[in-house]
Amino acid sequence: MKENILIIGGGAAGMEAATQLQKMGLTPIIVEKSEKLGGHIAQWDRLFPAFHPAKDVVDQMLNQVKDVKTYLNTEVTDIQKDNNGFHALLSNNETIDAKAVVLATGFDVFKAERKQEYGYGIYNNVMTSVELERFFKTGKDARINNPKKIGFVHCVGARDVKVCNTYCSKVCCTTALKQACEIREVFPDAEVYTFYMDLRMFGPGYEDLYLKTQKDFDVKCIRGRVCEVSEDMDGRLVIKAEDTLFGKPLKMTLDVLVLMCSMEKNKSIDAIQAKLGIANNSDGFMQNKDMYLGMNGTSQDGVFVAGACIAPKSLPDTIGEARSVATQVFNYINR
Amino acid sequence: MDFGFCLSPSSHVKMDSVDLTTFNRLKETNPDINTCIACGSCTATCTAGNFTEMSFRRLLLMLQRGKEDEAKKMIQRCMLCGKCTLVCPRGINIRKILLDITR
Amino acid sequence: MNSQIFHPFVLPFVLGMAFVLTYCLVGLVRVVLQLPKEDRKKFLRSLVTPKIAWANIRDLFGDCLFHVKIWKRNPILGYMHSTIAFGWFMIIVIGHIMLFTLKPLEGVEAEGFARTFTNFYYPIFYKFFATETPVFAFLMDFFLLVIISGILIAVVKKIHSRIVGVKRVTKFGFADNMIRFALWTIFPFRLIAEKTNIMAFWWLYSFDLLIFMCMLPFTRYMHIPTEALFILMRHAGLKAREPRKGYNLAQLYSCPSCGLCIDACPMSVNDKNSGNTSAYFMKKLRNGDSEDAKRIAETCLMCGKCVMICPVSIESCDIKFSQRAATPYYINSDHSYLENVESSSSDISTVLYFAGCMTQLTPIIMRAMKQIMEAAGEEYEFLDKDGGICCGRPMLLSGKVAEAQAMIAKNTELIKKSGAKKLVLSCPICYKVFKDEYQLEGIEIQHHTQYINELIKNGKLKVNKGNVNYVYHDPCELGRAFGVYDEPREVLENVGNLRKAKSEKELSICCGGSLGSFNLTQKERDEITNNSVADLMFNNPDEIVTACPLCLKTFARKSPVAVKDIAEVVSEQLTS
Repeated sequence: MKENILIIGGGAAGMEAATQLQKMGLTPIIVEKSEKLGGHIAQWDRLFPAFHPAKDVVDQMLNQVKDVKTYLNTEVTDIQKDNNGFHALLSNNETIDAKAVVLATGFDVFKAERKQEYGYGIYNNVMTSVELERFFKTGKDARINNPKKIGFVHCVGARDVKVCNTYCSKVCCTTALKQACEIREVFPDAEVYTFYMDLRMFGPGYEDLYLKTQKDFDVKCIRGRVCEVSEDMDGRLVIKAEDTLFGKPLKMTLDVLVLMCSMEKNKSIDAIQAKLGIANNSDGFMQNKDMYLGMNGTSQDGVFVAGACIAPKSLPDTIGEARSVATQVFNYINR
Repeated sequence: MDFGFCLSPSSHVKMDSVDLTTFNRLKETNPDINTCIACGSCTATCTAGNFTEMSFRRLLLMLQRGKEDEAKKMIQRCMLCGKCTLVCPRGINIRKILLDITR
Repeated sequence: MNSQIFHPFVLPFVLGMAFVLTYCLVGLVRVVLQLPKEDRKKFLRSLVTPKIAWANIRDLFGDCLFHVKIWKRNPILGYMHSTIAFGWFMIIVIGHIMLFTLKPLEGVEAEGFARTFTNFYYPIFYKFFATETPVFAFLMDFFLLVIISGILIAVVKKIHSRIVGVKRVTKFGFADNMIRFALWTIFPFRLIAEKTNIMAFWWLYSFDLLIFMCMLPFTRYMHIPTEALFILMRHAGLKAREPRKGYNLAQLYSCPSCGLCIDACPMSVNDKNSGNTSAYFMKKLRNGDSEDAKRIAETCLMCGKCVMICPVSIESCDIKFSQRAATPYYINSDHSYLENVESSSSDISTVLYFAGCMTQLTPIIMRAMKQIMEAAGEEYEFLDKDGGICCGRPMLLSGKVAEAQAMIAKNTELIKKSGAKKLVLSCPICYKVFKDEYQLEGIEIQHHTQYINELIKNGKLKVNKGNVNYVYHDPCELGRAFGVYDEPREVLENVGNLRKAKSEKELSICCGGSLGSFNLTQKERDEITNNSVADLMFNNPDEIVTACPLCLKTFARKSPVAVKDIAEVVSEQLTS
């Protein structure tokens, strides 16, 4: 039994699914559109809630898939299904025959320019959470120049019909608090403010992270959504928000404003997804069979989904889903 | 239950006797009203709020806590400019609600 | 031919005619009396002002008889309409000419023109009474056939409107359908009666006329007599005041419910909302259905496309506006706090820039304007950099005219105090109210499209021509309201390539974000936006360019390509 399983996407979900499928005696094949495996997680510096280096996890995962057949810089350009399974045409003109397909295409980061009132791309000192993470990893960002006051805006591109995303992006709250601590570590004299609506500390150790921000890092949490950002004469940012707990609108001058961008479905897979006849759910992510026992299944027999292509989720959740998809594929092959 | 004494006047909102007629009427024509997450965007951006106490977020709460007179007084400040509607992340038609309250 | 001068079958017609004439006369007196005194004076004076009188004559013929405006919109509908109207008119006119040029009829004392009063039914049934074959007989037959050809098109339109290029037609009730059927059959009956001289058809013909004329005041066909009055009143420069009185009443009855506005209305993209178009609004208000009229008035986007496309030039937005103003709000707005507001900007600068509320949410426009004014070496100042006072237009749009004055007065004071020579606005919503309502003598008011175009033209602003293909969206309150079509296009031609949208300039489709509407839900607005975006994407532009912060934000949600303000586009192409 050496059946081929096509895995589209070489991020956390794709790598973990491949690892498990290989252990089950199947032949996973990863097709990754970028130049290396690892996905978004490979760009992160440390992981919440315990500041664990992301590199550790990614390196372990990479090590596990070193024997898995992998195509880099490659995309699936066409896919057909017949009685023998799936036949995928790759952008390098090779074809892959597989018995099952796992879509592990993950997410895109919300383009912060779309929320124009926050001034990303207009004002120099507005940055995204992804860029801040890169700063932590590389120590380099021209915008961060010994800042005295830093603000974080939650829910950028999430819970917001004005950008057509009504869902909660799940991980931004925890990420914001993690990054707030980290920036205080780098600049101990800086004041850090987060502008939140709800702090959704849903996982193990997450609430501890929140307590840490209050006890050890003195992160000031203001309940209210930033609505406008402008620049003063000195090029510093002036933000407007309502302090909803105090019940008054406030203005604040900041050196850096970090936008906690939401996850959106990775749209580069749309054409293949349509060919496979898999619809999107109301949030624009892939529609799975159901959110309980059928969470990895789709409307197309033999096509499975895992990870952030179904909904925004954290790394542990993604790994769990990748393992579960492997089981589902195994059962499908041996049905 | 009667403990035989009470403090008067109490500053509590008397939720047992709150008159929700206006709020319920608004809810009928503006079902989105309940989706408010009290983020305060409307208040922060409010043109009138720049000069006065005008705050749609609080106004909505006033209606839900039976402070209709206060709410109506607050609306007098509104310029109906529509910024609140434009920024509301829940897509609540705030401008329409502001007009409807006064009907 | 018959030599008698009377036959009982003329009685139904005579009865109908008497009724409709009386009704119209009473109606005319009523409408004129409803006009406020100053308006009535203005109206009566206009009738004897040569210049206006000439315009009246021109439009009475052009609009009532030849339907010039419908021809422009849709030639088939133009033909259909003008054949029926003009053909009928000609038959009556020729009939009357014959009546007083022919030999005296047996038993008729009156001579010449006087006959039209004693025997005014004669031209209507002329073939029956004619004592000789008149020279005009050929013309009469010709026009009768012309009318019937128009009616044939009307029948086709009723069966399948798309053949004549109309997607949606007005839905009518029993009365409107019945009178239409009467109208359609009048002329075939007459033709048959004339050719066969069968008495039954003369009777049918006469009864058809009776039905038509008796129902006319209670149906859309009332537009035939009313339009003439409306044209006179419009040229007199009367303003819409109370929703169902005076000038507005004349407008209401002038609406022929032709339904051209239904296809034009951006809301019609959802069939459910096509009932919210002007044709239905006019009908409901005419019939005194005030709840529905109120609802539609507050649902309307006020984009003005129906007004632009209306073959009768009815100012339906003004009527909706007066309906809004007539709806009580029970809240005494209190903007007295504005009195103490001081401007933080320094005085005396040549150019005063007023971003407006909406532009506060699109900082990219403000930044671009700053860059442009600096590059042009202009002496400028921002009036509302720390948040300003609303221009008053949104308050006006809700019908609260007096309340808006508080804002208008304060802004006027601040602007005048600044000593500026020119006021530049980025928001067409502001532009509309500044142009219409503000008294800013000596200060030139420009929208930034006009301002930038002027800067480029007089050489103050140097720009590069890039390779981007733009499509320009005309904001309603800049385009249709003020005809600012050329300036933005000239600017875009200077910085890149301009592609055409499917519907442009006066036909442009509202973005869906308009502050004009109170009732539309986000979902309904999104449908309008999608439709408008598809229209703009017709020639596959690289970027959509607009000149309104609200359009910008609305399109940005749904557009497949980048959406930019014209100021941003220009700021990208500044020669450094």
